[in-house]
Amino acid sequence: MELFTPDSGLVIWMFVAFVILFIVLWKWGWPVIIKMMESRADTIDKGVEDAKEARRQLDNARAEAEKFMAEARKQQAEILSDAQKMKTQIIDEAKVEASKEAQKVMDAAKVSIQQSQKEAELQLKNEVSKFALDIAEKVMRKEMKSDKAQSELVNKLLDEYENN
Amino acid sequence: MRKNFKIFFTLLLAFLVAVPSAWATESASDNQDGESNVDIKEIIFHHLGDGYGWEVPFSHVYRIPLPVIVKAEDGKWFCFSSANLTEVEVIKDEKTGKEKKELIPVIYKTRRDGKEYMFALGPHSSNHKGKVVELFPLQAGEVAKVADIEKQYKTEHPDAHEATLDGFVNFGGNYYREYRTFDISITKNVLALLLASLLVTLMVFSVVRYYNKKGLKAPRKGMGFMEMLIDFVYTGVIKASLGAKKAKKFGPYLLTCFFFILTMNLLGLIVIFPGGANLTGNIAVTLVLALLTFIVTNIRASKHYWKEILWPDVPMFLKFPLPIMQFIEVFGIFTKPAALCVRLFANMMGGHMIVITLVCLIFIFAPIGYAALGGSVVISILFTIFMLLLDVLVSFIQAYVFTMLSTMFIAMSHESGHDHVEDESAEQMAEIVDI
Repeated sequence: MELFTPDSGLVIWMFVAFVILFIVLWKWGWPVIIKMMESRADTIDKGVEDAKEARRQLDNARAEAEKFMAEARKQQAEILSDAQKMKTQIIDEAKVEASKEAQKVMDAAKVSIQQSQKEAELQLKNEVSKFALDIAEKVMRKEMKSDKAQSELVNKLLDEYENN
Repeated sequence: MRKNFKIFFTLLLAFLVAVPSAWATESASDNQDGESNVDIKEIIFHHLGDGYGWEVPFSHVYRIPLPVIVKAEDGKWFCFSSANLTEVEVIKDEKTGKEKKELIPVIYKTRRDGKEYMFALGPHSSNHKGKVVELFPLQAGEVAKVADIEKQYKTEHPDAHEATLDGFVNFGGNYYREYRTFDISITKNVLALLLASLLVTLMVFSVVRYYNKKGLKAPRKGMGFMEMLIDFVYTGVIKASLGAKKAKKFGPYLLTCFFFILTMNLLGLIVIFPGGANLTGNIAVTLVLALLTFIVTNIRASKHYWKEILWPDVPMFLKFPLPIMQFIEVFGIFTKPAALCVRLFANMMGGHMIVITLVCLIFIFAPIGYAALGGSVVISILFTIFMLLLDVLVSFIQAYVFTMLSTMFIAMSHESGHDHVEDESAEQMAEIVDI
């Protein structure tokens, strides 16, 4: 039965040892460890949160960069196509201008040709009429040698006038 | 690696068979009539109990002496080495001529202020067997009384070896009056207790120092294991059932309990010097622990807790003219820590007892013959190893259970009454663990 009867000496020593141990650990031991463990857990939690945040930001940045790239590419394509358009436009314009110029030159040439033609015709007309008048004068001179003939003609012409 | 292990294991087993066999046959051969002279009960109780010296391996007679601190009957304090209480005697066997050393108790005599004081370990005839008692020579009136009692005892127990006389002891043929001294000696258990406290302090402060030095860097290996245990107990048990605020308040007590019990449990399983003391299997140790939990539980307990005890929520006839429920509840205040005390004590003592009994089987079977001896050696060694491994597990479980139940009791007594559901779940959990 000695196993089941607590020994007073051991009870006293146990009490003293435990209380001292408890006080020492309570003052300088456990709070430090618990505080440290908790702050580390917080730090790890925060680290995970930060990593997530960084990841998200990185993803955002990447998406943004891609967006910028796409825009730049689009702009490049636009510029290129614009340039192409402009080129053809310039060429077309130049063609139109050239043809216009050519037309103008041709028109001017035509006009001058027509003018010179008219002038030539007029000259010809003048000359022909001069020739005709000359010829007619000569003919008249020959036929109107007699007065009779002259008066007959005058009469005839007067008649014609009156009939008209 | 596997092959090496097999070879090692075989050699170990062979060694384990050979050594105790040789030893056992030797001790068995001391007794010619084929009956074992090993007092199994004595051995078991010696191993489970306390002692004034610390046994060392491979020596029957040498013990590490420890200081004995006692208060004599006249109120004076004495402090002397436990080596004074025993003497090595060489006994020579007449037939075989072998010499055998035995440790026998002697009376330690010391003088102070002209008066002689005698101290001795209580012999078989004492009511305080194995404890330090102060001895007084018989007074004139007592001689006749002792003779009377002895005569009466011998007629009642004719085959008794030594008479057990109340208050008197037979020491080396002479009778003395004995007085159980007030004894605060540094016994084996007390020293083991101090060593365990020191070890716990070192363990905890190694972690603290690590934190102070390395800041938030996570510790590795041993310290990592320490931290894992702390986290397991603090976060898993204390914080889970007490909540963050109360966990800060009661955490230090509960953590100290856990690590102290665990260290004592594991130290008890180590056979040689720093360990080997059956600390948590000693009711004095568990009694103090349970008492402290009782104090922490009931001091400054909430109003709700006392209301539940003195005016519980049950039908009126159960609590009014006859306070049946009150009686049960008040009884419960004391049974809870008592259960804590007995559970830890019984579990650890049981484990130690089984291991020692298994080892003793060898000595019980030794006189029968070599075959029985060999067989019992192999079987009992294997079972002993198994039991010790189981005891390692039990050490953890019992430390954990003690801490968890203490936490539950504290949680129950410190709740404000709003969280009634939690209370019930805590009680249920406590009941499950009790089973």
